[in-house]
Amino acid sequence: MLRVEGLVVALQGRRVLHGISLAVAPGEVVAIEGPSGAGKTTLLRAIAGLVPAEAGRIVAPETALVFQQHALARRLSARDNVLVGALGRIGFWRPALRLWPVAERAEAMACLARVGLGALAGQRADRLSGGQRQRAAVARALMQRAPLLLADEPVASLDPENAAAVLALLRDLASHGGRSVLVALHQPELARRYADRRLRLEEGRLCRR
Amino acid sequence: MRRLAGLLALGLLYGGSLLVVQPDLPRLWTGLPRLAHWLGGAVPPDFSGLPDLLRRAAETVGIATLGTTLAAAMALPLALLAARPVVPLPALYHPARALLDALRGVDGFVFALIFVAAVGLGPFAGMLGVALHSAGSIGKLWSEALETADPAPLEAALSAGASRAQAAAVVLLPESLPQLASVLLYVWEFNIRASTVLGLVGAGGLGQELKNAVDLLDFARVLAILILVVALVLTADRLSALLRRRLG
Repeated sequence: MLRVEGLVVALQGRRVLHGISLAVAPGEVVAIEGPSGAGKTTLLRAIAGLVPAEAGRIVAPETALVFQQHALARRLSARDNVLVGALGRIGFWRPALRLWPVAERAEAMACLARVGLGALAGQRADRLSGGQRQRAAVARALMQRAPLLLADEPVASLDPENAAAVLALLRDLASHGGRSVLVALHQPELARRYADRRLRLEEGRLCRR
Repeated sequence: MRRLAGLLALGLLYGGSLLVVQPDLPRLWTGLPRLAHWLGGAVPPDFSGLPDLLRRAAETVGIATLGTTLAAAMALPLALLAARPVVPLPALYHPARALLDALRGVDGFVFALIFVAAVGLGPFAGMLGVALHSAGSIGKLWSEALETADPAPLEAALSAGASRAQAAAVVLLPESLPQLASVLLYVWEFNIRASTVLGLVGAGGLGQELKNAVDLLDFARVLAILILVVALVLTADRLSALLRRRLG
């Protein structure tokens, strides 16, 4: 369960979010819509703890963030990229020497299979298609075992078919995995189709729909 | 006003340089016949005792290769400390940068001179000299490569709970590998060139033979050594360029 109350965020002295309050229940997909520059990315990054809040309260469980441009390491395989999601719970030397624990490797393969990339585990990220990269990024987020998934415009650069596949995957992770999903989208038709609830952000404020 | 200040600074630089160097064209003119006489005496080049020359060439390659490798080992931790995305702590970042600048600021030739005094004549001193200077160059170039790498995968790793050390080892270093390897090859190639003169201070390699030949005014021998130096440098240059292309 995610709860945000009166969140205020300023970037470089400029207030970007003005008192945002929202909640996302387990198993629920909430879409945040709004034009570019409305503050969607900042909201997600603040919830993920990547930017500090000036005021307000965020009550969030462990959080995994799916970035807009997938943020995969291009020269690493899909599997190694997914394993990056496990770094928070394993030490330094084994990953540094590429001696990933067997259990983590198996889990990474399961995460890749979950997003339909089981057969491409060994493929370098820069040899994957746009849709495959975004699904690998979702698999990396799954590897974090976080109950809250934040996705920042995860389909912005995808064709309609791949966009639908990625959003259906997020929808499924909420419905069948019990995760809370908060996804920034700028296509209202996709939000209508895949989200339980839609919120609209404009100039850093949530608008009533 | 700024242009005037720039011109003034340039004038001072050139004026000062001319004052201290005192170029003397008539002296060059009178020296030319001597030079021509030596050049005449240098042909044909004297390749006698080729195995000895080749052994010296091997020393040069060895000095450059081991020196560059040792330099890389020293440079890696310093480069990581001097790369802001890895260590965003000014208390560590600035001293690491300063140390790299200091190492880079002293030529390998000077370091070799010091090591000859410390560990005696021979290629070992040359290798240590090359290593110390190159550690500064490699570290500096590596830290810059790490700083210009795509920050997104690093940020993704950090947001997934990785420590900065983990994120650097697992994501940033593999991502930057082509750039890091390219720097290493470039410095190795540079060191082959630099190592050919280390012999002048008794630090082994072809330079040692070159100094002996010049001291004896044996210009046929000098030419033979120069031909070997050029061949060595060109081979290293081509090999390095080929490998760097493949890395890209």
